[in-house]
Amino acid sequence: MLLIFQILFILFALFAIANVVSKKKEGALGPKGILFWILFWVVAAMVVVWPDSAQTIANKLGIGRGVDLVIYSAIAVIFFVLFRLHVKMESLKRDFTQIVRDKALKK
Amino acid sequence: MFLAIVPAYNEEKRIGSVVRSLFEYVDAVVVVDDASTDKTVDESRKAGGVVLSHEINLGQGAALETGHEYARQAKADHVLHFDGDGQFHVEDIIPALDKLKKKKADILFGSRFLDNRSNMPWFKKYIVSPVGHMVNRAFGAVRLTDVHNGFRILNKKALNNIKISQDRMAHATEILALTKKYNLTYIEFPVKVTYHEYGQSAAGGFKIVRDLLFGKFMKKN
Repeated sequence: MLLIFQILFILFALFAIANVVSKKKEGALGPKGILFWILFWVVAAMVVVWPDSAQTIANKLGIGRGVDLVIYSAIAVIFFVLFRLHVKMESLKRDFTQIVRDKALKK
Repeated sequence: MFLAIVPAYNEEKRIGSVVRSLFEYVDAVVVVDDASTDKTVDESRKAGGVVLSHEINLGQGAALETGHEYARQAKADHVLHFDGDGQFHVEDIIPALDKLKKKKADILFGSRFLDNRSNMPWFKKYIVSPVGHMVNRAFGAVRLTDVHNGFRILNKKALNNIKISQDRMAHATEILALTKKYNLTYIEFPVKVTYHEYGQSAAGGFKIVRDLLFGKFMKKN
């Protein structure tokens, strides 16, 4: 018997995956990006449906609760994505500066 | 050719007189307008300066580097950094250039601390400056008496080596670090600074440190 939360989460995960696929069609995501995000949502949905799975893995890793494992991994992933995003933004800023500079020099 | 680079952002009141007074001492004046919303461009042109316009505001470091790029293309022998807000005094230019040539140095840094002509607010002198010195040292800059001074003269070698990638105010520390990195010989020279505006606030200082830190993770162009 699935809890309401589990049903809602699966629906959300499906929506997120559909979003990933449509972004792929627009060409906004590379093959690595698609794999990562689909895997991410599938694993997240699985953990929500079978909470004991997280508990089992957590125990093997020496973490007390399954929820803690999920929170730790989530934070690690968030920081990693944040870092990548920041670096990407900085490099965009440099390209942007170069374009504005070239334009200023051409006139 | 001795070329002055004047980064300017909304300096319509002072830019005209700065450009005019510079012409007595240098061969060419390039005003890099950092997307000013006032009449900075018109005033600079009226005064006879070459104007390069950033369409979008990028910051003082980016403006200086745009000026550098222009100077490299124009094959300038020496380049002067001179603020557009009239805080520096043109009488310092020729003695500074003479000293740079006499000492055969690659780059000259203006300093407010080698004589007592500058009227520094005490908070700047005793709080902001010492912290600035610590930041500079932490980021591998050469040691100077003055931590952030926009008055500089670069020779060709310095101009070709110093490529500023810090768009905002952290460029001042970056220039010092590049001086060390490329083993440029440098000297300091006393210049007078008159404060019309405050300059770096404490919040500005934090932004500089942040930019320097992130700059460490970025590939240099």
